[in-house]
Amino acid sequence: MNLQKKIPPRAHRIKWSGMVLWLILGFLVIIPVTVFLFAAVSPRFLRVGPQWFTLHSIGEAFTGYTGRGIMDSLLVSTTVGILATSAATTLAWLVHRTTLYGARIIGGMMWVLLLIPTWMMTIGWTNLIMPGELATAFGLNTVHLYHAFYGPAGIILILTTAALPFCYFVISAGLRGLGSEFEDAARVHGAGLRRTLTTVLPIIAPALLSAFAIAFAESISDFGVAFTLGANTHFPMATFTLFNAITANPANFSVAAVIAAVLILCTVPPIMLQSRVTRGRSYAVLGARTRSVRRYSFTPVRRIVVSVATFAVLIVLTILPLVASIATSFTRTISFETRTGIHWSTLSYHNIFSPPPSIMSLGSGLWMSNQLGVYVASGTVVLAYVLARRLASTRGGASQRIADVFLLGSVAVPGVVLGVGYILFYNQAIIANHVISLYQTMPLLVMGLIASAAPGQSRLLIGPVSQIQSSMAESARVHGAGRWRTWRTASLPLLSRTLTWAWVLTFTKTISELAVAQMLLVPGHEPVSVIIETTLGTVFAPIGSAATVMVLAEMLGVIIVVLGVYRIVTPKGWRRIGEVGSLR
Amino acid sequence: MSARAVGVRIENLTKSFGDKVALRDVSLDMAPGTFTVLLGPSGSGKTTLLRCLAGIERPTSGAITLGEQLVVGPRAFVTPDKRHLAMVFQDYALWPHLTVARNVGFPLEGTELNKADRVAKVTNLLTRVGIERLADRYPNELSGGEQQRVALARALAADVGLLLFDEPLSNLDADRREGLRIEIATLARETGATVVYITHDQAEAFALADVVGVLNHGVVEQWATPEVVYQAPASPFVARFTGLAGEVPVRVLSESGGRARVQCLLATPYEIDDCPTRAVAGSEATLFVRPSAVTLNEASFSDGLPAIVEDSAFIGRGYEHVVTIDATCRLTKIFSRRRFPRGSEVRITFDPSGVYVMKDE
Repeated sequence: MNLQKKIPPRAHRIKWSGMVLWLILGFLVIIPVTVFLFAAVSPRFLRVGPQWFTLHSIGEAFTGYTGRGIMDSLLVSTTVGILATSAATTLAWLVHRTTLYGARIIGGMMWVLLLIPTWMMTIGWTNLIMPGELATAFGLNTVHLYHAFYGPAGIILILTTAALPFCYFVISAGLRGLGSEFEDAARVHGAGLRRTLTTVLPIIAPALLSAFAIAFAESISDFGVAFTLGANTHFPMATFTLFNAITANPANFSVAAVIAAVLILCTVPPIMLQSRVTRGRSYAVLGARTRSVRRYSFTPVRRIVVSVATFAVLIVLTILPLVASIATSFTRTISFETRTGIHWSTLSYHNIFSPPPSIMSLGSGLWMSNQLGVYVASGTVVLAYVLARRLASTRGGASQRIADVFLLGSVAVPGVVLGVGYILFYNQAIIANHVISLYQTMPLLVMGLIASAAPGQSRLLIGPVSQIQSSMAESARVHGAGRWRTWRTASLPLLSRTLTWAWVLTFTKTISELAVAQMLLVPGHEPVSVIIETTLGTVFAPIGSAATVMVLAEMLGVIIVVLGVYRIVTPKGWRRIGEVGSLR
Repeated sequence: MSARAVGVRIENLTKSFGDKVALRDVSLDMAPGTFTVLLGPSGSGKTTLLRCLAGIERPTSGAITLGEQLVVGPRAFVTPDKRHLAMVFQDYALWPHLTVARNVGFPLEGTELNKADRVAKVTNLLTRVGIERLADRYPNELSGGEQQRVALARALAADVGLLLFDEPLSNLDADRREGLRIEIATLARETGATVVYITHDQAEAFALADVVGVLNHGVVEQWATPEVVYQAPASPFVARFTGLAGEVPVRVLSESGGRARVQCLLATPYEIDDCPTRAVAGSEATLFVRPSAVTLNEASFSDGLPAIVEDSAFIGRGYEHVVTIDATCRLTKIFSRRRFPRGSEVRITFDPSGVYVMKDE
């Protein structure tokens, strides 16, 4: 045997998995959105204007009302990103690293917050502080507060509240995997509390930047607040001006496409920043040697003060608007308090299941939405996990960077843009007649909802995925495990909780999603969000409130069931990862 | 290096985690500049003790004084950053987002040194630990040994009076352990600082320490020089944990001035004279035998206990043997320059200076 002979390099293999992934992404997001964006310069190509090529729409989008909408959106989203990340970091630290009273409840409160769509939260706040509503019943004069709410402050408040749980879960995952030895090292070498925090927090930089990026992208693509608050406050937001451009008569698809392109491009700087900070360094701190963390002990008085303050803020943000909505749902008058007092009634709850003949009942919509939720959540978690792994891989080259930029850009694609893109692409005669006819079918709706959810979920998952040390999988492989067994035994236990939360989150978001659902619904099979917004909610305010409360309760029930099942079926060790308290 | 060593006084220190007591009424006194090694198995409380010294753990009761400063007491608790000490962590605890130079320079930030002086000092420290070429690398780009050097340089950077080492060599391979152990000993002693070093490796402890504290279940069982710990272990636990060839049941025939004549309670009667002891005449006890105390002789040798060689292993300078006496009593790690084949009959003799007689627990 000639041992001098060089060992030949590994045969070049076509990466089918990568190709399939890009093909899926192509049909889910890239092609429909690109087709829509193409309308910005070539409206005739899509038969939405006379010109084959024009740059006129670009100038038009940046002037006047639409131009202001873009600037407002940028300002609001940046502010929300900073506020939500800061608040979530503080909250996650209090919960996971201190002896705060009721820390376990906060996770539940974050889920409640996550369940409430922005349009519902806006209605809740309105039910609370509008003169004549709940606050008035308690003798509070909220006129000034109400006027302040209907402006940038209200928009930022709602969007920050909506982004808070996303950021909280991402940062919590980062903190869970971070042993306390890094803090200990800083303290022992002379750092005070502030310097310790500034030293240690960058270790979870991927999670912090993910949180900022998600908050920014969620805000810039939000439609619910832009539509409810922005429209009424002379503070236009880009998604609302985009919607206006599409629904105007005649519709201006070219300007809408330019606004959509700007929204997507705006998300590139945060991802570039994240990429710059994390590239070439390892933040993998979650591994077999990770020690349990030690909690910072408050003094008894400080513990009470901090706990009370934390819960006061969370109750104001979460419970009050919810209580206002629930209270409204139990009245049978237009405003909560009338000259003849408060008139309690459960009539609205009866009406949502037995509405007048011309109105759709909640029951069938609820069933349809639950089905959609299961399909979309399952598909999204698989796709998002694959994407998160790809993004977390340190071996990725240009493909990873492209995927990264694409994903964050996709988060910023407003649902309304996706909806228009799907209609324009899948309803083209050449596709519908010669390739596949998906328009106004359930599969297209599922695709649209997955396309809307997967980018955000993958960014949520990238933090936990990137914190798993490669040695975990490597040790499984060298001990004889194949790829599947390695994933099942080494990665899944560490990620099971995150994946379960991702599934539940997608499920609930799918049920409350409005933009894609409304544009791609199958006639006669309307999802619950569409039924509430377009039919039940328009009958009478308390009926709409009762319907939303009922949907919230149902979603909460599903969460409890799923988490209960998770607790029963998973081994104890899976649930102990990152838990506190051990004797050294 | 110009560290001013501090003395360490620990008084009646207790630390509980819930209903588990990790440290029980520990009192120790370390003179300034001494190199103290806390030795004990996992769960003995040595890490907890070190973390209490560092201020990372808050003791349940007791007091700690560093130099003239009471850092832990009934009404006092000084946070880690105010204790003027440095620590090398078992898992290194290097911040992954900082370069090697910034990790090492961390304790210098916020001091009165200007930037140029800080850079010079960091460069000097990196040179001393032999990793000056790695200054701009990140921790994940370093080997385990290199990471440990960074952690060592960081600990030396602040010129503190007390250096703490939390099993710094436990993650390294044998070759690197030996090299780095010598470097730690040299560099730490050069600083003049008081050193508290914890390990579960008795060889490491004896090689490094001026004073050894052996912990078991949160209690210090012995506090003495390595020589005393080796020659006169305070308890059977200390004897076993600091390295034994084996144990032989004996009867104390006579005792005078801490020396005894004992008879082995084996099938073949055999007496050993002048053994150090704490047992009284007439009592049954255990002979704790260090490996160095046993000599292997040919079966034809006139003295000694008959035994069978169970195993022999080449260790370079000679052979280590395992022998059994009466098929029940086994002695291990017995060195001989020549090899006694497996299964062969031998006679073993004991050097009284390497044995100790006491009651077993």
